[in-house]
Amino acid sequence: MGSFLEIFDIYLLEAMVNGILLGGVLALLALGLNLIFGVIDVTWICYAELVMIGMYGMYYLVQYYGLSYYLAAPLTILLVAALGALLHWLVIAPLLGAPPINQLLATGGVLFVLQSFATVAFGIDFRNLGIRLPVLQFADMHFSYSRLLSFGAALVGMVVIYLFMTRTYTGTAIRAIAQDRQIMALMGVDTKKIYLVTSALGGALAGLAACLLVLQYDVHPFVGLSFGPITFLICVLGGLGNFVGGFVAAFLFAEIISLGGLFSDLEWGYVLAFAFFIVMMFIRPGGLLARRQ
Amino acid sequence: MTMRIGRRLLGGAVAAAAALGFAGIAAAQEKKIKIGVIYDLTGPLAGGGSELQYIGAKIMIDSFIKAGGVEGYKIEAVYADAQSKPDVAINEAVRLVEQEKVDMLLGFYSSAQCVPVAGRVEQLKEFMWITTCISSAVLDGKNYKYVFRPQASGDQFGLMTMDFIDKNIAKFGKAAKDLRVAIIHEDGAYGVDVSKGNDAGAKKAGFNVVLKEGYSATAPDLSALVTKLKRARPDVIFHTGYNPDITLLLRQAREQGLKFGALVGHGAGYGVYEKLKEGLGADVNYFFNTDPISIWLTNDKTLDAKLPPVIKMIGEEFDKVKPGVAIRSAHVGMAASNTYLFFTAVLPVAIKKYGGVDPDALRKAALDLDIKEGGTMLGFGVKFPAEGSQMAGQNERSFPVVIQYVDDKSYVVWPKSQAMREAVLPLPKGTTYSNQ
Repeated sequence: MGSFLEIFDIYLLEAMVNGILLGGVLALLALGLNLIFGVIDVTWICYAELVMIGMYGMYYLVQYYGLSYYLAAPLTILLVAALGALLHWLVIAPLLGAPPINQLLATGGVLFVLQSFATVAFGIDFRNLGIRLPVLQFADMHFSYSRLLSFGAALVGMVVIYLFMTRTYTGTAIRAIAQDRQIMALMGVDTKKIYLVTSALGGALAGLAACLLVLQYDVHPFVGLSFGPITFLICVLGGLGNFVGGFVAAFLFAEIISLGGLFSDLEWGYVLAFAFFIVMMFIRPGGLLARRQ
Repeated sequence: MTMRIGRRLLGGAVAAAAALGFAGIAAAQEKKIKIGVIYDLTGPLAGGGSELQYIGAKIMIDSFIKAGGVEGYKIEAVYADAQSKPDVAINEAVRLVEQEKVDMLLGFYSSAQCVPVAGRVEQLKEFMWITTCISSAVLDGKNYKYVFRPQASGDQFGLMTMDFIDKNIAKFGKAAKDLRVAIIHEDGAYGVDVSKGNDAGAKKAGFNVVLKEGYSATAPDLSALVTKLKRARPDVIFHTGYNPDITLLLRQAREQGLKFGALVGHGAGYGVYEKLKEGLGADVNYFFNTDPISIWLTNDKTLDAKLPPVIKMIGEEFDKVKPGVAIRSAHVGMAASNTYLFFTAVLPVAIKKYGGVDPDALRKAALDLDIKEGGTMLGFGVKFPAEGSQMAGQNERSFPVVIQYVDDKSYVVWPKSQAMREAVLPLPKGTTYSNQ
């Protein structure tokens, strides 16, 4: 009992809240990837690299062109949205009828192209936006505003996507196509246009994530490696294409990392999270809240 | 008919002799040493310091190429990018040896690459001159014959920083047993090795180690580690990391309100001041770093007289490549000095005394080295232990120094013999992380 009280201190509470805030970052990243998979049935392995390009966009707009953060953010979101649409037009659209492995490999190829492009275009230096947000202090606990922003953006993004999908004509068309790709074309829906809109929307979410991550992380051509695999695992854990599942999985994953890291070595937090993923794949192969099989 | 055949034979013999003669002359004229140079030019390690090492080595190689080579041997360098990946480093090393037919390999930034590459190169019986990576695991107990490292080893880094704090403990107003220290490190060969030195040094000094933990340099979040540090309340944090994990840790430390009395880094990311400053701003003030001394901080009077002009040349060449850098990184000088050492002290002996540039000639020349303190741009001397020793291939006269960043300048503060000023300890009141 004594040892239990010893560990149930204010630091445990801080770790739990930090886990929730990390969950917000991961949920934000998972949102766009899930949208793309849910509708187009293609996994953008290069999703984190789109985020990386967006982070560079923010860096150059703020640091080189002197734009304010709030002006640079919408421009970056538009830039990455255009990049998402371009990715679909150039790489995904020609492969829509191809086996899934071909699509996966093609987006994997784009991952290396984007990493190499960033290395050549921006160099290998680590770049920092240089904006330092204040810290929120409560009792003996401190929380990062940039993480709170990500958390808030993930929540708002989730609600906006939900409303868009359920309350607008385009959203309804997107959902309908997600249910049956062939029949909607027969009913007069322009599937090509819907795919393009969805890809741009997925790109815009990557852009939003970039605007918030650039406040917390240095930008370099390989920053995507820190997030790409974990984002993909979260989407699979939540059920690929399932927004709510991805959201829940992100927070579960983040809490396991945070609390596991607090009670044991930091590395064990990640080991536990990945072990949890493997176990869940045995129990619920379709994901925590799976709809698709 | 017979005469015609005889004439033809004679003509053929003359032509063959001429061809062989020309080939012989050409071979004599084209005496050269082909060097395979491997650093990380892409991937996270490139910006973490490896590119600066590459620049340092290249400046020196180019200067010797420009000078026409060494002892009649021209120099040709073949550069390869390890891409921050151990498997790529191994493949590139083997490619350079087997396909490019290089005479030796030089470079290597990451210990995680050095450990397997050294083993492979030794198997191939090729000569390897390590300019940078520091993990003891590369050489400890391996008894390699062809792998040499003039650079200090990782455990020396860890021991040095603990000794530095131990000798300055009065500034904390505490007894050694009451000084709370935390040892944190990236979990690769480099971080683990330095942390072992830290651990041994802490035991020797009698410090209270309140936390010792490794983490992955690519982890997207280190907040749990920061929370544990907050709970442990260390007076001094001994940290070994690359970048961007250093900036991530310290940014999250600021956001979570971590306080301490001193932060002591151990090379790699801590050696690239520009990046620390860009990521952390003024918070980097009063941080310590341990590395071989920056060649631009060595005392000219203590060095061999021929070295200061070379140091000046390296600085001028570096400024052409990276103009406007506030503090020239120690990384540049480290690779430049160790490359210069090879060209001036190993290669001439191999050619003159041992008859060429084959691996055995280079190995024997390296074992002959006996350079006293002040004989290299990094201040230390050079002597490799005899074959069969526990640390065969490791320079037993090398040592790192502790520097402190103060107001965009770096000062050597330890050991006393090299110190440029007294260390500011603990962190002054009013600084972001100060626990005063």
